[in-house]
Amino acid sequence: MRIHIPVIVAALALFTACDENLSKIAGPSPNLEPTFASIQRDIFETADSAGRVSCIGCHTSTGRNPSGGLNLNHDVAYEQLINLASRGKPSAVRVVPGDPDASYLVQKLEGAAGIAGRRMPFGGAPFLTDGQILILRRWIAIGAPRN
Amino acid sequence: MKLTLPLRLVLTVALLSLAGSASAQDDDEKLKPAEPDFSLVSLPTSLRLPKFSSAFRVTHRFTGPLTGDFGDVVGNLFGLDSGAVIGLEYRFGIVKDGQVGIHRSSDNRTIEFFGQYGVMRQRPGRPIDISAAVAIEGTNNFRDSYSPSLGAILSHEVGDRAAFYVEPMWVNNSNPLPSALADHNDTFMLGIGGRVRISSTVTLVAETAPRLRGYKPGSHHGSFGIEKRAGGHLFQLNFSDSFGTTWAQLARGGTSSHDWYLGFNLSRKFF
Repeated sequence: MRIHIPVIVAALALFTACDENLSKIAGPSPNLEPTFASIQRDIFETADSAGRVSCIGCHTSTGRNPSGGLNLNHDVAYEQLINLASRGKPSAVRVVPGDPDASYLVQKLEGAAGIAGRRMPFGGAPFLTDGQILILRRWIAIGAPRN
Repeated sequence: MKLTLPLRLVLTVALLSLAGSASAQDDDEKLKPAEPDFSLVSLPTSLRLPKFSSAFRVTHRFTGPLTGDFGDVVGNLFGLDSGAVIGLEYRFGIVKDGQVGIHRSSDNRTIEFFGQYGVMRQRPGRPIDISAAVAIEGTNNFRDSYSPSLGAILSHEVGDRAAFYVEPMWVNNSNPLPSALADHNDTFMLGIGGRVRISSTVTLVAETAPRLRGYKPGSHHGSFGIEKRAGGHLFQLNFSDSFGTTWAQLARGGTSSHDWYLGFNLSRKFF
């Protein structure tokens, strides 16, 4: 009896290893994860339940010239982002792997000071939520892998 | 009725164990001047709670910082005009050397269930008292963000003058973000603290809980205070760099601005 109670309680605590629910952070795009495949699918190519429009409405080479020279079509989006300078602000790099603050994609989506042109989406609110941007930032922070 | 030998032996062992148990129980009911309470400021002590006895505690941390312009601090009555993080705690001795309790903090409406079991008592030839401790807490009245914890409380009393504590603790899910968005989702910290009696009823108390591994934002938790015992009551005035009173809150540390805050603890033993 002296040993059993703490051992049992400790075991229960150990087996109750917990984690937060990512979908709560993701908000209007509940399947969003910090992977390129998910960002491509849930941010670039899909509108969300809050009414935010998809990026490829403008950033596509399908039937038009991609806005800002950024083509987010499925097969070229990754190469269009990683370590590539922005056309609207040539001194800025669209995605700097490992550095979300320095990534112009994040700055444009957050509406940071010093960006060229408007905050994205071009048509205005609703913008990406803080949680959606947090997930995008995490993908860049872990090196922006092509996963 | 004639008692057989085996029955005599059984009765003798039972009587001896009951006598020993009663003695230890009596010891637990005696005041330990160097360890008058179940907590330092926020860290637990190894004080035993007698079986079927209980204790109650109120924690109060004013949220107005003590740093900044002195006139403003005085004008704000050292933080009393600001809001406060309030905790209510009740613990109960369920078995000899074992206690369970519940702590409810207004910080994110956190409820913590905890248990503690005294494994080894300090005695001549054994300079250390050891207790094992577990806890699990959840925010939003135990509906969200569950954080289980495991720890040990190692203490050494120096006569009836002082007591010192080392408390290794592991807290799971200390990071409020999902693990997919964080480098670390748990924290290993080392609680260190002590209590020194400066008069028959007044003690000085201090503690810190540096995070050694894992998630460790802001500053490490630290507190110090002075307390006065009055019978079964203990009133403690304290200064802390965080509002944490549960293990996961301690793991999350204090503010990054390194502000300090006034607070107090009130505790009452029911034995």
